[in-house]
Amino acid sequence: MENIIELKNVHKSFKGFDIKNFSIAVKKGFVTGFIGGNGVGKSTTIKMIMNLLQPDSGTVSVFGLNYKEHEKEIKQRIGFVYDENILYDHLSLNQMKDIVKHAYENWDDHLFNHYVELFDLPLKKKIKTFSKGMMMKASLTMALSHHAELIIMDEPTSGLDPIFRRELLEILHQLMQDGDKTIFFSTHITTDLDMIADYITFIHNGEHIFTKDLIEIEEEYAIVKGGLELLDREIEQEFLAVRKSNYGFEALTANKGRAEEVFGDMVIMEKPTLEDIMYYTKKGAEQHV
Amino acid sequence: MFSLVRKDLILQKSSILLLPVLCAYLAFNTSILWIGIVFSIVISLNSFSTDEKSPIHILFNSLPYTRKEIVTSKYISAFIFTAVVAIAIFIGNYFINGMIVDWKVFVLMFGIVLSVISVIFPLSYKFTSNQLLMVSLVLSGIFLVAVNFFVKNWIDQIRAFIGWLLALEGNQIYFMMAGAVFILYAGSWLLSMYIYKKKVF
Repeated sequence: MENIIELKNVHKSFKGFDIKNFSIAVKKGFVTGFIGGNGVGKSTTIKMIMNLLQPDSGTVSVFGLNYKEHEKEIKQRIGFVYDENILYDHLSLNQMKDIVKHAYENWDDHLFNHYVELFDLPLKKKIKTFSKGMMMKASLTMALSHHAELIIMDEPTSGLDPIFRRELLEILHQLMQDGDKTIFFSTHITTDLDMIADYITFIHNGEHIFTKDLIEIEEEYAIVKGGLELLDREIEQEFLAVRKSNYGFEALTANKGRAEEVFGDMVIMEKPTLEDIMYYTKKGAEQHV
Repeated sequence: MFSLVRKDLILQKSSILLLPVLCAYLAFNTSILWIGIVFSIVISLNSFSTDEKSPIHILFNSLPYTRKEIVTSKYISAFIFTAVVAIAIFIGNYFINGMIVDWKVFVLMFGIVLSVISVIFPLSYKFTSNQLLMVSLVLSGIFLVAVNFFVKNWIDQIRAFIGWLLALEGNQIYFMMAGAVFILYAGSWLLSMYIYKKKVF
C-alpha cells in the first residue's frame, strides 16, 4: 500500500515541548484520524506536513516528494482546513474565491458552486458574519474545489454543534466514495472517527504511540475489570495503565489474547473506546514517570 | 506569484478612492513630492498591514506559493502602488494646474518611498506592528529632541536640500541615486526573504 505522507525520525523542539523521533506513514486512499489530547503535538505535526514549520531534523515527504524541491507541486495537490478562520473576514466568499482560485491550476468553478449550494453558503455576505459552522464549510469548499488528492484538516469538528459535525462527516464520507482521495484529520472528538476513519494514528506528548486500523485496535485492546486480589506487581506490568478502587480494578491492555490467557473467566473484558485508550495511555505515561 | 500581486491590487481597490483626495491637494498647490511620498507609503503599508494577521499568512503559506514568492510579491506591489500614485499625480497636475511634472520629482519621490519601504518591510516581517509603533514613537521623540537641539531650523534645511537637488543641472546624480535606491531595495528584499523563511506560524 502506497504511503501519501511520510514523516521519518522527525525532531522539533520548542520551549517546554518536544516532538521526539516521530515517524508516521499515512496510507493513500484511506481516512486516517489523528488523535491525542490538547497540546500533545497534533497541530505541530500538521504544520510540519503543510511546511508551515520545518523539523529540526528528520524528513517530511508528501506524495513521495520533499518540500525543498517540490513545494508548489505538493501544495497544488492538497486541500486544507484549519480550526481557525484563515480567510480575510472583511471579504465575501465570492471575493475570497477570486483570490484563492488563481493559486490553483485545477480550480473548478462548477465544483465550487456545487459546494456553495450544498452547504447553503451566502456568496456576497462578509465572512466575518459567518457562524463557526459556516466558516468551516467555507474553508472546506475552498479545500474541495481544486480536485485535491489529499485533504488535511486540523480539528475540523471542534466547536461545531452535533448536527454540523454529522453533516461534515457525511460529506467526507461521500467524498471517499466518489474518488481516490486521502483524508488526514486531527481531532480530540474520538466519536467522529468511528463514523469515517479507516486508520487511527495516536500521538501523546510528542511521541507516536501507534497507527492501527480500527479492527486491529478492537482485536488487540481491551478494558479488563476484576477484583483487586487478582493483581500483583508483575501482572500490573502487563497493562498500559491500571485504575484501582475499593471495588476492584479497571485496566487497559494492548494484548487482549494474553489477558484472556492470564485471567480466563475471572475478569470482565470490554471493548475500549478510543477515548479509553487515550485516557489510559496518558495515565500510563504518568504512572511510569 | 503574480496572482499574489493581483491580490494586493484587488485588496487596495478602496485606496483608489484616495486619488480624488490627492487631486484636491494638487489643486491647493501642496508640494507634489510630499503628496506623492505620503500617498505611496500609506497605500503600501496599508497593503502590508491587511496581511499582517497571522492566520492570513497560514492561508498563503498553505496555498501553492513559496515564501520567497510571498515576500517578492509585496515588494512588487509596493513599487506598483508608487507608480500608480506617480501616474495619478502626473495626470492630475496636467489637468488641474496645466503643468507637466519634472521627471526629477518622480525620481526623488521613488527614491524616498522605496528607501522608506526598504527599511520598514524587513522590520515589519520581524516585529509586530505594536512593537514597531512603540519603538518608532520612542525613536521619533529622541530624534526630534536631538535634531532640535543640534540643528536649528532643520525643516528649512531639508527643504533647501531638496530644492538644491531638484535644481541640479546634471542628470548623473539622479542616476546614481536611482542605482543606490535600487541596491537598497534589492538588499531589503533579500533580508525580508531571509527573515520570512525563519518565521513560525
